[in-house]
Amino acid sequence: MHYPEPISKLIDSFMKLPGIGPKTAVRLAFFVLTMKEDTVLEFAKALVDVKRNIKYCTICGHITDTDPCYICKDERRDKTTICVVQDPKDVIAMEKMKEYNGLYHVLHGAISPMEGIGPEDIKIAELLKRLQDETVQEVILATNPNIEGEATAMYISRLLKPTGIKVTRIAHGLPVGGDLEYADEVTLSKALEGRREL
Amino acid sequence: MFLTHLSLKNYRNYESQTLEFMNNVNIILGENAQGKTNMMEAIYVLAMAKSHRTTNDKELIRWNEDYAKIEGKAVKKHGALSLELIISKKGKKAKCNHIEQQRLSQYVGHLNVVMFAPEDLNLVKGSPQVRRRFIDMEIGQVSPVYIHDLSQYQKLLQQRNHYLKMMQTRERQDETILDILTEQLIPLAAKITLKRHEFLFLLEKWAAPIHHEISRGLEQLQIQYESSIDVSEKVELSRIIEAYSEKFATIKEREIQRGMTLAGPHRDDISFIVNGKNVQIFGSQGQQRTTALSIKLAEIELIFSELGDYPILLLDDVLSELDDYRQTHLLDTIRRKVQTFVTTTSIDGIKHDIIKEAAIYKVHSGSITAPSCH
Repeated sequence: MHYPEPISKLIDSFMKLPGIGPKTAVRLAFFVLTMKEDTVLEFAKALVDVKRNIKYCTICGHITDTDPCYICKDERRDKTTICVVQDPKDVIAMEKMKEYNGLYHVLHGAISPMEGIGPEDIKIAELLKRLQDETVQEVILATNPNIEGEATAMYISRLLKPTGIKVTRIAHGLPVGGDLEYADEVTLSKALEGRREL
Repeated sequence: MFLTHLSLKNYRNYESQTLEFMNNVNIILGENAQGKTNMMEAIYVLAMAKSHRTTNDKELIRWNEDYAKIEGKAVKKHGALSLELIISKKGKKAKCNHIEQQRLSQYVGHLNVVMFAPEDLNLVKGSPQVRRRFIDMEIGQVSPVYIHDLSQYQKLLQQRNHYLKMMQTRERQDETILDILTEQLIPLAAKITLKRHEFLFLLEKWAAPIHHEISRGLEQLQIQYESSIDVSEKVELSRIIEAYSEKFATIKEREIQRGMTLAGPHRDDISFIVNGKNVQIFGSQGQQRTTALSIKLAEIELIFSELGDYPILLLDDVLSELDDYRQTHLLDTIRRKVQTFVTTTSIDGIKHDIIKEAAIYKVHSGSITAPSCH
């Protein structure tokens, strides 16, 4: 199939996005043709702006337009606790909760030998550096509850053992407010393993 | 359980076929290459959502068609069951009592079948992989958590092997990562080992007396789990975890040299021992056949003891392979309690009164004719 070059270039660009295959890319590209020029310009500008203006915070690694980010700058925050997450999206999820008042550290990935990601490829060294000045008393490991996330949490906890800083891991089990009957077998069995005495 | 209805659409060589079953014993009669095994396979797939013959689901779809559909109705101890499985090139959709199941693991286990086919002799003769597959499938039928643990184990194993390869070539040398991967692997390995051990213990309990009887009191069958660690009688999870920790500590250097994981359930095996000797190596053809048969019959009893309902038995082309004594024993055992489907090219080979109670279905080039009477 032959598309005029500008269109095929656009299709190609859309296909670079996650979750977009050739069919969706064609649909999006043809939709752009029907959009008003202003809207398209705005869209293009938004794309460029996000790339130019959003940076990673030099302290915690969260996405930000100011450096340091609004969380690291906030004086009211508890500087003795750092919550370690894999992804900037995880910070946003944690912040929605409005219960956590400490700082964050974004690793930008998890250890996975299969994908060639080792400890030096994620921001572990940066975390260790932050822990040197002795204000931090607790590190909460909130990496994902899957194999890679678990491995990363275990790795960090080993590194921190000699420092004497308290290291905790978030719990996993049943979702709150849900019904027991809707939980899948695996989550239920994990919840059962982690049961506690009342 | 009792299968009362089966309908196939675009399944293998069947374009459209609907069958009703009323008898306990159903004989599927036909020449070679007419579709006898395909029909047995269809019942198996309806129960297990995968074939015993192939891992490629596309093979199950009739040539040049987009999807295959199997529907079945069964009567269980606790009431009626209706199942529907659609296999398309994109994947499988399963409905249980008209409700679509989100995950296949929730679908599998509603209908229980035990299949005995000529390939099952491989269970005794074949490679350890065949035996591991057998045990995983059997435990998987009753424990969804086991399926999950197994898939987590496989993922971790891949990660660990990959890392060991990198350590072998000195691309990476951080031993902490290896230790962590080992530490993650051990509890899963231990859980799988324990489950398999418990399952074989039960299987032996049922299979030994059956084997004793089929062999006319001459043979004593034992089933052993051959693990890379010592799994003695009465084991506990914490003990197995300890044993694996010690094992992995001693083989660490060798694992790095070889670049792979050298202990764990993925390397374990099952031994069938008759009168003190391993049948796989020292057994005669007949002994191997008897062993395979005892295990299959034990499976039927095992499922009954766990679920309170007998599974459906599928005998694909095996009756003619058994001598008269074993045949009689098999048919006596299942008579009037287990619904059975038997394929054969000729009913002359079956010398048993059971044939009088049987419904005979004739298969000819992808079409089945139901019996006229009964």
